[in-house]
Amino acid sequence: MLLTALTIVMFSVLTMSCTLTDRNRSACVGCHSALEPASSSHTDCVVCHGGDPQARDKATSHAALRGPANPSTPEDWEEGCGRCHRYQLERVKSTIMQTNQGMIRNIQMTWDGIDNKNYTTGGGKAFDPQGKNIETEPVAQLDNLSGELYRKFCSRCHIGAVNGDSYSAAHASGCAACHFPWNDTATYQGNDKQLRGKAGHSASHAMTALPDTQVCSRCHNRSGRIAYSYQGLHDGNNGLVPTRRGEPGPELASGARNLTHISPDVHFAAGMECIDCHTSRDIMGDGFQYRNMFLQTEIACQDCHGSGRDLPRYRQITRENDEALRESRSYKRSATSGMRMIQTAKGRSYSNVFYQDGTIWLQGKRSGKLHKSKVITATPEHTIAGHERMECYSCHSHTVVQCYGCHTRYDKGKNGMDFIKGEETPGAFSESEDYRTLYPFPLALNQRGRISPVTPGCQTFVTVAEKDGSLSKSEYITRFKRSQQLRFAPFYSHNSTRKAIGCAECHGNPAFLGFGQHIVEGTSITGTLICEQSARKPLDGFLTMNNGTVRAYSAITRENSRPLSGVEVKRALAVNLCLPCHNRAADPIYRKGVNQRALSDARHRQLLSDK
Amino acid sequence: MRFLMLVIVSFFLTNNSLATQLHGGPVCSSCHGQTTARDQVTGCVVCHPGKELIFERAMSRRSGEKSFVERSYARVDSGFWDKNCTSCHLKSCRDCHGTGPVISKPNVAACQKCHKGYYTGGDYSGRAPRENNMRYQRGIAVEGETFLKMLPDVHYTAGMICSACHSMQSLVEGKKSSHVCRNCHRISSNVIEHSIPAHLEKLECYACHSAWGAQEYGTFFLRFRDLRMKVDFDLKPTSSTEYLRSAYLRKQDAPPLGINARGRVSPIRPLFISYYTDIAAARDNGPENSLLAAEWRAWFPHTIQRGSVTCEGCHDNPARFLLEPESRRIYNLQKDGMTLDSFWRQKGQRVVNGSFMSASRYQQISNKSPAYTKAYVKKWKKLLNRDDHSLRP
Repeated sequence: MLLTALTIVMFSVLTMSCTLTDRNRSACVGCHSALEPASSSHTDCVVCHGGDPQARDKATSHAALRGPANPSTPEDWEEGCGRCHRYQLERVKSTIMQTNQGMIRNIQMTWDGIDNKNYTTGGGKAFDPQGKNIETEPVAQLDNLSGELYRKFCSRCHIGAVNGDSYSAAHASGCAACHFPWNDTATYQGNDKQLRGKAGHSASHAMTALPDTQVCSRCHNRSGRIAYSYQGLHDGNNGLVPTRRGEPGPELASGARNLTHISPDVHFAAGMECIDCHTSRDIMGDGFQYRNMFLQTEIACQDCHGSGRDLPRYRQITRENDEALRESRSYKRSATSGMRMIQTAKGRSYSNVFYQDGTIWLQGKRSGKLHKSKVITATPEHTIAGHERMECYSCHSHTVVQCYGCHTRYDKGKNGMDFIKGEETPGAFSESEDYRTLYPFPLALNQRGRISPVTPGCQTFVTVAEKDGSLSKSEYITRFKRSQQLRFAPFYSHNSTRKAIGCAECHGNPAFLGFGQHIVEGTSITGTLICEQSARKPLDGFLTMNNGTVRAYSAITRENSRPLSGVEVKRALAVNLCLPCHNRAADPIYRKGVNQRALSDARHRQLLSDK
Repeated sequence: MRFLMLVIVSFFLTNNSLATQLHGGPVCSSCHGQTTARDQVTGCVVCHPGKELIFERAMSRRSGEKSFVERSYARVDSGFWDKNCTSCHLKSCRDCHGTGPVISKPNVAACQKCHKGYYTGGDYSGRAPRENNMRYQRGIAVEGETFLKMLPDVHYTAGMICSACHSMQSLVEGKKSSHVCRNCHRISSNVIEHSIPAHLEKLECYACHSAWGAQEYGTFFLRFRDLRMKVDFDLKPTSSTEYLRSAYLRKQDAPPLGINARGRVSPIRPLFISYYTDIAAARDNGPENSLLAAEWRAWFPHTIQRGSVTCEGCHDNPARFLLEPESRRIYNLQKDGMTLDSFWRQKGQRVVNGSFMSASRYQQISNKSPAYTKAYVKKWKKLLNRDDHSLRP
């Protein structure tokens, strides 16, 4: 008995526990009496934050705080969140949002920065997708222009580093980047009087187990801008109009950009949020370190909607340690044993998508709303011969944001903030741009060998000003795959639509094949928006056709991806010979390849003859 | 020093220019003696009688532009014209005919001193306006304007100057041009599109042969009575300190089509879909983004090429006739308080020198008749260079 009592006393002294309801014993609560509990299971200040709850002055009690305000920051997350959430922490350490390995690698590949080493934000040991040990270098050691670009531009959206000063794009570092959302001005607006109005804090001390779309939008609003396209927002030409209450408008975003409204993604319109499709493994990782985002992502449209050939797959929950049971604990409706959970493209269970009574249902993780998923397998429109290698979003993208001509200047005479090193160093970047558009958009082969929308990624023209102001590079086009060329990247814009682009619209408009805006004359297709550095090459495309010869002059980034070949281009254009009569995708002739014999009848001979 | 000045003077007098060839012979007072001010018209019209009539015409009077301002921006600011529209006013012969002592025929660049930006002329050399935000103000500038590099007009590439089609005499007479396409070009029926009688009867040549056209959707004039309020608007400065100009969207692809004053199908463009915000008033809960006009004009983009868009560029493209179906709408103007449903819907908009194509007429041209199908297949066969009747790639 005595031993038990002693143990309890010892334990209390050691942990110096302090809950927000423990008013008498805690110095924390003395000052932060109205601070919201992080959650019903996260009520003990010291377990997460550390510090000394017995000390009576602020300096002493705060001296050993982790973070100091954010115990989930990478410097402290082992002792902060990691003490209880080891499984999640080990995954997050190697997730692409933390390592940024793909971003760094792509910049290296496209900015003359390849040095045969692999870099991540912090470097270190990890496991590759095959489970083998790998080691990467910290990006602070990437001593060239591509390293500079990452550290001074792109690294702002790395979840390992805080961004406290970008309007509408501010976020904490570590776990809190997603689970303690910041508002547009990075200001605490909760009940605690000590903190209210202070910048550099989450909007509330209440944790969100399930981050909403706004949380994702704080980072995914540049480059591909998928969070904007998804919500029906567009940062277009930055015309700053129409105004809103006399200020630039109608919505404002980081970097003095304005957002106008476009048609949102069909899933957003139905009330779905980012996390309703994206699994926690997509976002927080699965413990393996992937080279690129598209290798970590485990979901695909076909998971819920089926492909032309295959129905969606499901697996029943039979084990009590099934991931879906654990993951769905915070949903309105938790998954239960026996449910048939739909499988991701990597063959893992969704925790919110299930098969029941012949129907696939998706549960909004935050809303609890059930969405019925339409399965397209074996429908005539989705079994067109030749379309089996189309990505769903080649036809079902309403828009694809495209930024043409990215002119980047690096001034060695100016200082720029290095967000990885945390200090200003010589060299500052600035950007200007040529043109943006949403539609039409070009298609090419992606890394899976499938036909996908592509967007400039990037059309970088580099100017380097030396300290004396002289230009050592002027509008320089970097080398990619051994030659100086511009690049497009396979891309899903997240602005999908129920109604697909029409057959004639796509096959009849060579812009979709990569010719840009153009005119057709005889056997030539000529671009009308021209790259400044050439006489005839389009800026908004990557193909030309001159007297019947198709030539590609831009690369598609990623392994095995490429523009369509001349034969493929002509095959796609040849469909126009059928389309004026066979204008419905459901027309049975499109179920199989071309039957040359059927074309020998009088009707076709008459149509296809030149007389 | 005296010797140097003599050299300079003799250089000008012996220079191979019109000034020396035509005007170097007479004594200076032949021109300058007629008037007290060097550049006034009277000095020229003694020898060039009748040419002063050009100052009664569009480039000098600008009655079309004035009338537009009267029915739009002048309703909210009676001084708008004087503040924003006086930089391109033809005042003297020398505005076009050379600088310094040299008198010359205007070259393309001389015309483009005014005919630039969104105003037809810069397009002839392959220039389209850039966005107004300073982020887009990059690259080479001509006459103070940066531009997107576009495919130049085929006549420009061939070395033709503006006056080849727009002679001085035609301008003096108040005509738009001295030559039209068919004065020089015989129509070959070997061209598939030319073999279709309706094309020749109902279309302007440039409805198909304008490769591209600059289009400005939503022209915004923002008025700053307090110049300090400009601070968050990183837009290209205009000639007026009181105003900044921006656009909701710019395009420069194949332009929309409508019906012009001759009743023919012609390119049309917004000129202008005008919005106005008085910034100080808007910050004081006053109106903003007021739509003052939604006007289009039929026009002749100077972007001629031999080729054209494909058949479906018109026959399967209702948005090109401002008949965009709602399912294809991209920009949600209503949500941004811009009054119109869509720039590519006719509702609430008009063509000031013509009309939009009616939905019933579009229906007619989008019906695939046997003749259309035949020509369509022929066109694609030609592009694919097919000499057989197979579909082999």
